[in-house]
Amino acid sequence: MSLKMFHVVFVLCSLALTIGLSVWGFGNYQVSGRPVDLFYGIGSVISSVALVIYGWVFLKKLKHISFL
Amino acid sequence: MANAKTTSHGTSADQAHDHHHYEPGFWSKYIFSTDHKVIGIQYGITALVFLLFGFILMLLMRQQLAKPNQPIPVIGPILEKVLGTDMVNSGVMQADLYNAFGAMHGTIMVFLAIVPLAFGAFGNFVTPLQIGAPDMAFPRLNMASYWFYFLGGVVMLSSFFIPGGAAKSGWTSYSPLASIADMAHWVDGQTLWLIGMVLLISSSLLGAVNFITTIIQLRARGMSWMRLPFFVWAQLVTGFLLLLAFPPLEAAGIMQLVDNLFGTSFFLPTGLVVNGSQLPVSGGGSPLLWQHLFWFLGHPEVYVLILPAMGIVCEIIANNTRKPIWGYRSLVYSVLCVGFLSFIVWAHHMYLTGMGTKISTFFQTTTMMISIPSVIILTALFISLWGGSIRMNTPMLFALAFLPMFGIGGLTGLPLGLNATDIYLHDSYYVIGHFHYVVAPGTIFGLFAGIYYWFPKATGRFMNETLGKIHFWGSLLFMNLVFAPMFIQGMKGMSRRMYDGGATYAGNASVLGLNTFISHAAIGLAVFQIPFIINFFMSIRSGKKISSDNPWEATTLEWSTPTPPPHGNFIKEPVVYRGPYEYSVPGAAKDFSPQDQQA
Amino acid sequence: MEIPYTVKPRPDTGLYNAKVGIWLFLASEVILFGALFSAYILLRVGALDGVWPNIKNAWPHGLLNIPIGTFNTAVLITSSVTVVFAWAALKMNNFARFRICMVITIVCALGFLCIKSFEYNEKFTHYELRLKSGKAYTGHIEVNGKHPGFWDFGSIYNLARLETDKVEKVKFTADPPKAKPGEKHDESTPKHEVMEVATSDIAHLDAFIPRNHTFFAIYFLITALHGFHVLGGALVLAWFTFPGSKMWLTEPERFINRIEVGGLFWHFVDLVWIFLFPILYLL
Repeated sequence: MSLKMFHVVFVLCSLALTIGLSVWGFGNYQVSGRPVDLFYGIGSVISSVALVIYGWVFLKKLKHISFL
Repeated sequence: MANAKTTSHGTSADQAHDHHHYEPGFWSKYIFSTDHKVIGIQYGITALVFLLFGFILMLLMRQQLAKPNQPIPVIGPILEKVLGTDMVNSGVMQADLYNAFGAMHGTIMVFLAIVPLAFGAFGNFVTPLQIGAPDMAFPRLNMASYWFYFLGGVVMLSSFFIPGGAAKSGWTSYSPLASIADMAHWVDGQTLWLIGMVLLISSSLLGAVNFITTIIQLRARGMSWMRLPFFVWAQLVTGFLLLLAFPPLEAAGIMQLVDNLFGTSFFLPTGLVVNGSQLPVSGGGSPLLWQHLFWFLGHPEVYVLILPAMGIVCEIIANNTRKPIWGYRSLVYSVLCVGFLSFIVWAHHMYLTGMGTKISTFFQTTTMMISIPSVIILTALFISLWGGSIRMNTPMLFALAFLPMFGIGGLTGLPLGLNATDIYLHDSYYVIGHFHYVVAPGTIFGLFAGIYYWFPKATGRFMNETLGKIHFWGSLLFMNLVFAPMFIQGMKGMSRRMYDGGATYAGNASVLGLNTFISHAAIGLAVFQIPFIINFFMSIRSGKKISSDNPWEATTLEWSTPTPPPHGNFIKEPVVYRGPYEYSVPGAAKDFSPQDQQA
Repeated sequence: MEIPYTVKPRPDTGLYNAKVGIWLFLASEVILFGALFSAYILLRVGALDGVWPNIKNAWPHGLLNIPIGTFNTAVLITSSVTVVFAWAALKMNNFARFRICMVITIVCALGFLCIKSFEYNEKFTHYELRLKSGKAYTGHIEVNGKHPGFWDFGSIYNLARLETDKVEKVKFTADPPKAKPGEKHDESTPKHEVMEVATSDIAHLDAFIPRNHTFFAIYFLITALHGFHVLGGALVLAWFTFPGSKMWLTEPERFINRIEVGGLFWHFVDLVWIFLFPILYLL
């Protein structure tokens, strides 16, 4: 597995983390009602979207490098 | 080692002269060498020294068992001077020293003698030659791996001389015993044991990475997977076992080290009382966790001990029966199965810990499963003898003896794998008899066979056959006299790890006499190792010279190099045209067809 | 004969030697951290009830600093992105950009470690106090007018230490009852309760250090081991960036391989953190 492939895996894991963090943040907000938890959730959603866009750009830019 | 490499130009000196570009000085040639053959020999010599040392520890323990609390003749007073009166008092071995010797005998034999000999020495010397590679994939890593091992050994040995003495909680170092065995000293024998183990584990990890990469990447042209000699397969699986089984012990070792030095409670349960007062630790730890992490290594380790020996035996049997190994493919698939299954049998060492009958049942099932591929390997080797014209030279004698001895070791293991019978047998001498049958007359015979077999390749001279046969028959007889009575003692219920030889328990009375018998047999075994030592050193200088680079008329690639192989091994790049064991091919000019012989 | 496939990939495996080697090494690292994770699970499942102040379940919960942890996660993800950019820059023959990206990676690594040591300090100066009356607090202590600090290991106190030093009483600033994530915050409680505690009333006093609880033991062990990996990785990458980069002029292809291998290790170290963060901080 090349660094390119591992980076894709890494971005996917990070994405899973940020999605998890947003679920965690919003879940806490539902119980506590504190704005901090809401911002945590919103921030995580934004990071998730950013990661998806980044991953897409990354794959496009490094098209010529092999996955192996 | 120096002699082994220099005195033996033999017949192939002219060929070796083609390779003059590499002329290093003494230090970089013999001490800090990156050449896999030199490193292999370094490993071999160091491991043999440790093997002897571990054996001497055992002889002293046998003396204590045969004559509990009587002064050890000659050696007793010397030990007293060296180790102090806490350990030896008026020539009598104290319980602490017996425990330390027990722990260190196990550790030294497993981690410093047999694994380095089987994997480090034979693996290093033979594997690259057999796959047609110029060296290991990472030569400098290879050197680092040897020096980590050496350092680990030095740390282990030095632990005898610190206050409180060496580790004395068994080679398994179960917590919490290992954490409280020597509370008087902050840095005790256990600390050094753990540091030594971390070094040895690092060495094994580097070695394993190197071996696997070498076998995957550096196979010669035409050396497809199914043309690999079985020894290489065995080394490959062994490499994977070391790579994946050792890290949990490294983690556990670090945790126990932190427990012992900085007062954490990874393995110390809540409410632990020592000498009548509660230990001032937070508690909440799990002693069972140590056992799981230890045996996750511990069981694959058994196969690390046995697989290289099986590989060696397979090479020698094919060579000396002059016929192909029966069922090469089934051997390969079996060894892969063994490798995989060995990761999921570890808790059969833990039936007595109260981990629950459901878990026990699972591990009992997998344990029974793993015996199937092991038996396939053994059976294939037995069937290989059928119809062969067998040459009874010393390597072959050892290889042949391996088969029934390993068989006894394996079969006596079955009652231990079944958890109902294990409850009775577990803490008895039966267990000692069982695993020593696997490792001593099993693995060590395989390794002796390998030494006699590849000695001509390393030195250009044969070892002496007569001395070899004396060594073999004496060892075979006395190995059995040492270990077979242990089954009887064990089935009578004699507990292991008793420093007074079991005299404390009335039930042992009828088998106590066997202690003396075993101890005498152990001395006999020691006496019959002397021919080997003499033979080894004499043959380096004055053994019978080989008449060709392929003195055993073998088929595998290591025999198509000059003798001893120069740096870079092969004169020209070898190309492989056939399988590993093409002996007595109908229509061929000779009864062996080397792998690099064009069809 | 020379060792083949040190630079060019072997045709049938498609890999050069170092790549096989690093992946095997990473496999063993996975098992190493896996063993520690399983130790974490076993210790947590086996933890006893009622040993931690103000926390209902047996396992200390919510004691780690989540905002800082989140920020550190972002730092490490960034460093992984830049290390890939560095490698891609070399592939496009742009050495200057490689160096810039590498420097950012190393700075991120060092930043991570600095922030981590700040967190460690926070724990080493934070105390758990249980009184003989049964009351339990977490907070900060002041002994003889001094706050024990991080760099001075000798000044971490516990009950035994107070007794041997013949300290009669300590000033204790208790934390306000903190809302756990997912619990309603009670605004009526006072912010900080400051009290004088006599040594003879104390049942247990210790900082948030490994010996205090298996949670801290496993937290410090895993994060310290991870920290050493970060440090080691940063040193290797720094060597590739500065003194080792001479190889770019002589053997560019081999140099790119080295960066790739370094990058693989770096990704692994970051990936470990991606797992560590939610498990240690949030769950």
